[in-house]
Amino acid sequence: MNGLLVSLRKNLALWIIMGVLLALLIMAIRGMPTKDWVITLLRSFSAGAVIFLVASGFSLIFGLLDVLNLAHGTLFMIGAYLGWTVFVRPDTFVDLLPLGALLGSGFMLGPVWESLSLASRLPERLRRILPWMGLAAAVAILLYVLPHYPITAWDLDRYDASPVTYAYLADQGLFVPPEPEKFEGMAPALGLATVVFASLLATLSLTSLTQPILAAEVRPKMRWQPLAAFAAIVAVGLLIFAFNDALTNFLLGLNTTWLFFIAMLVASLTGFGLGALMESTLIRPLYSRPIYQLMLTLGLSAMGIELVRAVWGRPEFTMPKPALFSGSGDGCPATTLAGWLEHQCSTLLILDGRVRVYNEIFIPLVGILVLLAVWILLKRSRLGMIIRAGVQDRQMVEALGINVKRVFTLVFGLGVGLAALGGVLAGPSTGLGSAMGDTVLLNALIALAIGGLTSYPGAAIGSLMVGLLQQFIIKYGAIGIPIPFTDIVFKPTPPLVPASTVLLMVIILLVMPNGLLGKKE
Amino acid sequence: MAEISSSRSLWERLPQPLRSNSGVLTTFVLLALLPFVIALFEGKPPSAVWANQAGTSKFVQGLAIEIFILAVYAISYDLIFGITGLLSFGHAMFFGASAYLTGVMLKSFGWNLWTTLGLVIVLGGVNALLFAIVLPRVKGITFALVTLGMAAVFHIVVQSRELGAYTGSDVGLQGVIVPDFISPASQRLRFYFVALLLMYLVYLLYRRFVSSPTGRVCIAIRENEGRALMLGYNTFYFKLAALTISSITAALAGFLHTLYQPIVTPNVAGLGYTISALLIVLIGGVGTLNGALIGAAVFRLLDFGLRRYLGESASFVSGVVYVAIVLFVPYGIVGTWYLKRLQIRQGWTRLVERFRHSSEA
Repeated sequence: MNGLLVSLRKNLALWIIMGVLLALLIMAIRGMPTKDWVITLLRSFSAGAVIFLVASGFSLIFGLLDVLNLAHGTLFMIGAYLGWTVFVRPDTFVDLLPLGALLGSGFMLGPVWESLSLASRLPERLRRILPWMGLAAAVAILLYVLPHYPITAWDLDRYDASPVTYAYLADQGLFVPPEPEKFEGMAPALGLATVVFASLLATLSLTSLTQPILAAEVRPKMRWQPLAAFAAIVAVGLLIFAFNDALTNFLLGLNTTWLFFIAMLVASLTGFGLGALMESTLIRPLYSRPIYQLMLTLGLSAMGIELVRAVWGRPEFTMPKPALFSGSGDGCPATTLAGWLEHQCSTLLILDGRVRVYNEIFIPLVGILVLLAVWILLKRSRLGMIIRAGVQDRQMVEALGINVKRVFTLVFGLGVGLAALGGVLAGPSTGLGSAMGDTVLLNALIALAIGGLTSYPGAAIGSLMVGLLQQFIIKYGAIGIPIPFTDIVFKPTPPLVPASTVLLMVIILLVMPNGLLGKKE
Repeated sequence: MAEISSSRSLWERLPQPLRSNSGVLTTFVLLALLPFVIALFEGKPPSAVWANQAGTSKFVQGLAIEIFILAVYAISYDLIFGITGLLSFGHAMFFGASAYLTGVMLKSFGWNLWTTLGLVIVLGGVNALLFAIVLPRVKGITFALVTLGMAAVFHIVVQSRELGAYTGSDVGLQGVIVPDFISPASQRLRFYFVALLLMYLVYLLYRRFVSSPTGRVCIAIRENEGRALMLGYNTFYFKLAALTISSITAALAGFLHTLYQPIVTPNVAGLGYTISALLIVLIGGVGTLNGALIGAAVFRLLDFGLRRYLGESASFVSGVVYVAIVLFVPYGIVGTWYLKRLQIRQGWTRLVERFRHSSEA
């Protein structure tokens, strides 16, 4: 009891704000019939979960690395588009898999490259120029080979083969994969070998560019594990290439629910890889001049958006819902969970209100699962301990002899992976468009500012608040707020949705400059 | 030998302010002559430029006016971000508010140009005060977020349908009638000189401000605010001064923007426009003042050139250029020049010498 009072006195502002917000929420709830507020609450959880997936990664990166990753929204969007590709066009995905494996194979040899680039006895000037030449050569080789590489994809110029059409066909269950392409004007073995060679060249050059040159005494020893990993990745890539058709048919025959989980997994892993690559090559040289990280991430974001437009086209399209959440007809909408499972309905009746199962139940569920998983990772694992310590005091962790560099790369990858997962989740509910990243990034930034920029629970609370505020204002925009003692009914207009979250952020920041749960400086 | 000594003495006879500002003066004269030189290339007499006849020169003047306005806006951001060290994400509000106010006053209220200018300057002061209210509470990234919030609210208000009669909601404000004597269509050369003059006056004023005792304290705040406080400076007033000067300058840029552009879109009040200022300052070099001017030219010309030759994929290439600038010009154009000045000059002399030797041989 005494402890509670002390905590109350210490965090008075926090408790007052929470009390006021809770009172507002209760007032908002009392203004609606029960079924309306239940659905609005569920929708807020859904919106909050997507914002949370972006915000939590952003906050981990900002907390540990002090990098404001303004490309985070774009990576969220790229995740969504990747997930769409796996889900709607498994044949394209299977075509891309060997290419990805072979291109990534060089990275497995990282330690070998380090010792090689350190061992070089080249004169200073050559050592500076050679990596750039190697990188340029690798890019040139890839630019020559990739047009020959067989990828069965969509065609932006033909409407009947555009992503919009494929999204529609997949939704109707009418998708028939087009005839797979073959290597054109090039022997397959030569093409694959060239890709591996380009990957080796590129990764060797990148390593020599980013690694500092150390004395020969501290040169790491050659070990066999990287070589084995390299061989394994190349073997997997070649196997997939050889059994392309079988794998494609297997994925096409799979229930779309499983396919959706595969899409989530692939997008998160690719996001992780992209993030790790971005940190280790581009962000790492910029720790000494943080303000230029803003410019770098802005530039990358512009590039990402334009790349997505070039590959998937400018028109917005939808992503079908997985089979588990798309049923209709007999027994739908379901009234019980068992009934829902049996008929796999898209909607569920709760208190006579229709709830879309995917949007309003599945997304929040995944959000909560990720919240718990990352929470356990942070609190219960050695990596989490290092991350938490690093957020507190980076120099001290370095001084204790921990390889902070590797942890930085991991955390950046983890953050981007979470954002990409959020993108796949948001795909079926909001659709895909090249502006989806900017909106969600702004919302995530607001959520983080509310909750405390570097606090993980703060990210969750902030995202929830942003979701609640937005959804309740949207709902009240439809039913109107009667103003007491007058006959006027005030209907909030759509621009008020972003304005209200921004205002909430400004008010909370003015009262508590570090956010609700941010640490005091 | 005699010639050299006489020229040197002529140089030394020039008054000190002229000598130390030779670069500024030369570029000013060059820019003032630019419209006429371009007309000569096209084979037209300078009198045609004077009479504002259509042609390449008039087009280039238009592009240059946009750059000058952008430069004034960017240098005002450099003052609070680069010199005073306040990261603000709401700078576009300074610019956008005055652009809209100018348009509304001229169009809907029929105000005279000069009274509008007076009001715009007052608005600049008020905006700075608005940002200054939150200054003592929030620092660093939180200040950036709060200013982002204030600017976002302004952006939403400008776009709202309720004010559509005045602001043209999300289409933008159009149909502002500009007085004939400065109309960008019929008196473009005059407009060009006004914008050029404004840019130079602002630049000189800013340089004076930065080397004044007040400006020195602003730099001290950027480097270490706690120390400046401990030395007995009430940093709030210095930040307020920088904010006010910056806001009024940005307001002037917004004023000219409305006069020059046929339509003022809500974009000028959005986050994207603040980001442009940030990018310009980063391209030019943080806290260098003339970097903001050079950065504005690079930014606008890059955008213009890429859009003209590449069309839709222009923003991909500009993204690549930003990344390349970050990697290869580590402190912006002017910042890196200051840092590597000696090396670059040495390399240049070596190159010239090598050529001289080879030509002799």
